[in-house]
This record gives sequence, C-alpha cells and structure tokens, in this order.
Amino acid sequence: MNRQQTLLAAQGITDDNDRLLSADGPLAQLQESCGGIIPGVLAIPELLALVRQARHSGLRIAREFSAFDGEDMVSGFARIQPLEDEDGGGCEVLVENWHRALKPPASSHEQAEWQDAVDRATCEVSARLDAAQRVQIISVAAADASELQDLFDASPGKVWSEYVELQDLAHKQPLHWRLLDGCKCMIPGSHRHWRARLIPVGVTGANPRGFELLLVADEPLVAGVAPPVEVEEAAHSRLIGSALTPVLRQPIARIIANAETIRTRLAGPIKAEYSDYAGSIAAAGQHLSSMLDDLADLEVVEAPGFKTARDHVDLADAARRAAGILGVRARNRGISIILPNPDKPVIADGEFRRVLQILINLIGNAIAYSPENSTVTVVIDEILGDLASISVRDEGPGVDADQAKRIFEKFERLGRDSDGGNDSGSGLGLYISRKLALAMGGDLEVVAASDKGEGAEFRLTLARIND
Amino acid sequence: MADLALDRTETTSVEAILRDELTRANRALSGVAPVISHLLESSGQTLVSDATMARLRGMLHDIARQLCEAVMGVQAAQEVDPLVVDDLADALASNAELLHHLYALAIEGQLTERLGRQSSIDPVLSPLVQELVASDQPDVAELAMAALAAQSRFIQHQRRMSLPIGELPAELFLSALQAMRKSALFDDDEAKHAAKALKKAYDEANGRLALHARLVTSMRSGAIAALNLEHSGFCLFATALASLTGQSREIAVVACHERQAARLALSLRAGGLAAESLERQFGILQPGYLLPEGISTLPQERATALLANCAMAGFGADHGGQGA
Repeated sequence: MNRQQTLLAAQGITDDNDRLLSADGPLAQLQESCGGIIPGVLAIPELLALVRQARHSGLRIAREFSAFDGEDMVSGFARIQPLEDEDGGGCEVLVENWHRALKPPASSHEQAEWQDAVDRATCEVSARLDAAQRVQIISVAAADASELQDLFDASPGKVWSEYVELQDLAHKQPLHWRLLDGCKCMIPGSHRHWRARLIPVGVTGANPRGFELLLVADEPLVAGVAPPVEVEEAAHSRLIGSALTPVLRQPIARIIANAETIRTRLAGPIKAEYSDYAGSIAAAGQHLSSMLDDLADLEVVEAPGFKTARDHVDLADAARRAAGILGVRARNRGISIILPNPDKPVIADGEFRRVLQILINLIGNAIAYSPENSTVTVVIDEILGDLASISVRDEGPGVDADQAKRIFEKFERLGRDSDGGNDSGSGLGLYISRKLALAMGGDLEVVAASDKGEGAEFRLTLARIND
Repeated sequence: MADLALDRTETTSVEAILRDELTRANRALSGVAPVISHLLESSGQTLVSDATMARLRGMLHDIARQLCEAVMGVQAAQEVDPLVVDDLADALASNAELLHHLYALAIEGQLTERLGRQSSIDPVLSPLVQELVASDQPDVAELAMAALAAQSRFIQHQRRMSLPIGELPAELFLSALQAMRKSALFDDDEAKHAAKALKKAYDEANGRLALHARLVTSMRSGAIAALNLEHSGFCLFATALASLTGQSREIAVVACHERQAARLALSLRAGGLAAESLERQFGILQPGYLLPEGISTLPQERATALLANCAMAGFGADHGGQGA
C-alpha cells in the first residue's frame, strides 16, 4: 500500500453496492465517458468486474485492465482493496500507469457491422421498406411514436420519409439510400431527436431488394413527457452542465494527459525543468477540470426549481461514510478523524446524498487546512428536540469574524490562492454546500471564532425526525 | 423354489456389480501404458517429466503444509501426521486450474534454469531489470527492485520445490482456502479464523507475477523491448509476451516449451517481433527446431487471430495479472 505510491494515476472509493462514491481526475472522467455518474454505479465494466470480485472474496487483487471510453483505449494496472464494513464495505480502487492509446482501428466493415448491431438493439421504431423505400410494415416500441403508427395505419404504403420530417436535407426525395442513411429526423408527436438508419436487405449488384429502416432516438424518453416550455428554460439555465462541460471536458482531459506524458518523460528524456513545467500545466488542467465540476454543481443548486428529496438521514452514518471516503487523504497527512458515537443514531430530515456531499466538503476542507498530525472532530448535537446539528471542527488557523462574513460567498477563497498551489479549490464548495443545506430546510454556518480557541468549526443544522 | 429364484437374482446382481468393476479396472489399466510411455520418453522433451512431477508434488505439499500451519500454528503442524498433509494436497490437486498454474510455474522454473545453463541468461538479474532498477523515476526503480527480490525468492523456492501461498493469483488463492475450509481435518472455527487471517495478509499486487505485470505496464509501448530473452530474462519475457498477445501468462510460459514450437512462433509474431529478432528468440528457446515456414511474413493480426481462435480452453484462465 505504501510502496510505489507515486505510480498511482487515479484512485476512487466504491460502496457496498459497487457505486463509485468518489474518484479523482482520470477515473472520474472514464466513469463519465462510460455513461456513469458520481456517486453512481461503477460504469466501467472491466473495473466493475474486478471490484465485485474483490468485494465478494475479500481479497486485495491486482490486475491489468483496459477499457474503451468511446474514443481511446484506456489501460492501466488496477489494484482493488476491499474495505472493512465500518468503512463502508466497498473497495478502494487504485489505478497505476494510466495510459491512453488510440483504439486499434477496427476494419471499416467490422465497424459498420458493429454500428448496425447497436442501432438494431437500441432503435425504438423499426420498419421494413421495399426497393423503392415504401413502408411495408412498421413496428413501434416507444410511447411517443404511436402517432407515427397511426399515421401509417391511416395511409399505408407511402415512402417512409413522408411519415417523418427529415432535417438538414437540401434535396427532396427520391434520394439514393446512402444519402439518407444516418440523417436526422423528427417524428410526429415526439419531442425527441431521431436518427434514421437504412440498412439494405438482400443486395444483388447495386440494387437492394429492400431496406430495414431503424429510427434511433438521441435521448431517452422521460416518463411524463416534459412540456417544451420547461425544456427551454432548463436548457437556458443549465448552460455549463449541459453545454459547456461535455465540450470542454475532452480538450482539458487531453491537456492533462499530454502534460502528464511530458512530465513523466514518456516520449524521451527532457530536462528536469521542462518536466516540472509540464507538471504545472497538468495541475492547472486538473484545477480547471474540478472547477468545471463545481460550476456544473453550482448551476444545479442555483436553478429556480431545485429541490432535494426528503429521506430519513442517519447523521452519524453519513459522517462515518464521508470520513471513510476521505480516509486515505487524512492518513496521508497524519490526521485522525474522531467520529460521533454510531450507537446513538440521530435522524435528520434531508437527502442522504446531499448531506454526504456537504460532509465530504466540510471534512475535506478540515483535512486540507489542518496542520499535519492533528485531529478533526465531528460532533452531533440535538437542539431543542426538533433540530439536529452536525459540526466539523479542525485545529487549523481558524476563521475570524471578518472572514466568517464572507466565507459562504461565491468564489470566496479567503486569500488561499497564495499557498503554493497546494489547494486547487474553486471557492465554490462552501457556497454549494450552504445552498444544499438551505434547500433541505436547514442551514450551514461557521461558528464564530471568539466562542472557542483555535480552529474552525462548521455546523450543519437540519430538522430532526423523532422516532 | 422361491429360495432358488432369490439366489439367482442375487447372483446376477453380484455378477453385474463385479462386471462393472472389471470394466472400470480395465479402463484404468488401459490408461497406464500411454501415461508410462509418455513419462519414459527421453527427458527434456516431454511435456510431463519426472522433474516436472516432482516440482508439482512439492509445491502442492508446500501449499498444504502452509494451510495446516495457518490453522494449527507452526508448532502443532509439525506434529501432524504426514498423511493428513497428503490428503489436503490431494484435495488441492483435484483443482485443474491450480494444477495448470503450478505446472506453468514448474515449466518456468525448469526453463529459467536451462536458459541460465545453455545461454547464460541470468535467472534473476537481467540487463533490462538492471536498467529499470537504475531508472531515474524512483517509483519505477522501486517497483523493479521489488520484482527483482520476488524473482530471486521464486528461484530459491523452485529449487526447494515450494511455493508461498500468497504468490497464487486471487482465484486460486481462494480455491485453496476453500479446499482448506472443506477439509475434515480441521476444526471449523479454527479454519474459518485461519482463512480470515490469510485473506487479510494477501495482496495480489505484491506477488511476483503482479509485480512483473506492473513493471511491464509501466514500460507501456516500450514493453516490446522485453521480448528479448537475453536482455530481459525469462520472467519479464513471459510476462510481456502474455501482455502483448493477450494470452494468459501460463500459456505464454508453456509456449516456450519445446513441444509447443508453433504456439511460440505465433506468439512472438503476435507480440510484434520482426523476422530477424523473431528468429533469434525462437532459436534460443527451441534450439534444433526449425521456425515454421512463412511465419515472419504472416501479418501480426492474423497471428493474433490464430492464437485467439485456437485458445486452449481452461488452461490458465484469466488471472495472474492478465487483464481482459
């Protein structure tokens, strides 16, 4: 565990249901490009299999793995370490020698076949066309495409493009099928964007005997179809999360990966100074990437209709999990975390995932700003019977009254830009945490420094649920 | 009359049982000749030789002994009837995957020894390992150092025909523990306790095979440099061959045995070696054999595909540091 620590490229923590609770840089990206979220079930099948195996057997295992992230082949050496039940019962995932390489190009024939198979499996409307592209039979599997079925039933036998609305096509039918294959279209009665696939059947010479028509939706159908007005508003207010983040993530990932390549001198020997510069570029890239995550979060909490779910949250349990997730970071700095007594559960009204997010932010800050080999204390109090609070206390420099006023403001970093680049925060963490606390009907405050000696204390207050 | 009838049925059933027994005995006897003739073939060229068998037995016994020690403590285990250890070793031997793994280790041990003798290839410290140990990246150097130490222990263990249980890949380690739990030799609670302690001490990443696999991954695209026996030594060579061709390490090791010349030639080609170096490596491992004709002009993808299509089912399943 202590050896070869620096070969480490990424690490993450999973829980007892193989959900990825936290992950740093490359692993988080891979999880996302494989279609997963954090926290969410590990979406990288190769790693999921390893994590399951380690968790079931309770063994520390180490395997080479490679995965396809949609663009590149990612490979590395994964070490999975199952955690004790009291640490969440999941696994710690360490990946060494993270390496990206272009996927060996499959032959174009192979690729086409593969694409056809994917489209056949995911299409929600399929039809059989004759040689002149007239629809012979149609079958619809999506609720929002039933109008299309009705349309066909009412007047069957027309060319398929008369039932749908083709987009981005300057020419009118009849067109050669190759030009239509892959074109975008809209279906009457559906708000989703669709893509048409034409796959020839029984090709003899240049003339196919007929076609398989597949309509593949670009988005999943959300239950209780959202009216278009709301969609517009959401799109407007979620510019970063839905538009900017996906576009920026790839280039930033490339900057980091390339800078890492230079830093580790993979392409050949260079002077130490240049390697250090590359290290700075990679660090700046990582900062940018986490900033992007925070901004996306920020958008979510600032959206007008933002609501949190209401569950019963065991505060001690949440604190224990948050501490488990940050355990490695704390151990690296020799910091011990004192947790509240788990035998006296205090149940609060809130959303578990959000409470966990707040506690990770608070404990993470406490670890970052405490001196090495100090203690971070988490305490639960019941106030007046109908409120519960959980406080995180550290032994760091503390927060004075002036800072306390500004600390929850957006982009506020309290002069921490100058600490040698150790801290790569965006200045959004506490702001987001407070917004989350308020959305759950609670509050997050900093306990005035004059009340006690050294160290900072943050207190999250939520409504208490009596059993 | 009734008595007689009864007697006759009884006789018939006894006869039937005996007849079955004889058939079974015949079948067992008919298996003896091929096994013996295989074992009698002049040594060195057979896939299973006395030396291999001895190493296999030794390793199985060693694992069984370690399990006994884990359950009963070192002191008590020394007083255990050797027959008890034998029984446990027999139980372990019924696991085909474990046998395949140990078999590959035995072959590796023999090959490493032979290469040292015939081609003066150092069993432990090869030029490549030396380079890696002197790497200016401290983490790679440290990893190489750990791999070097593990390899030197392995050679020592092979000479003693033993194998520390923690060196097994995770799946096999687990099945060994299961064999221990199932064994009637031990008290249930004690066995459970011992299994827990063994599991806790286990870390696949620090085993010899994983250390070398990690070293090969850290070389990334430079891993092909390890496909040079004189430069890298057999252990790194086999690990790199497995990694570059997507085969299990067991298969990669066994491919280097004299009776598997075609597999070796294909593997080297699939690993990306060009004609000249392919010939050289093949020559070192298979002296006196001719390189299959046309192998150096066979496209790399074809070689990979051929290997994948003719993969040996059940031999060296996906473990031991080989990824998906």
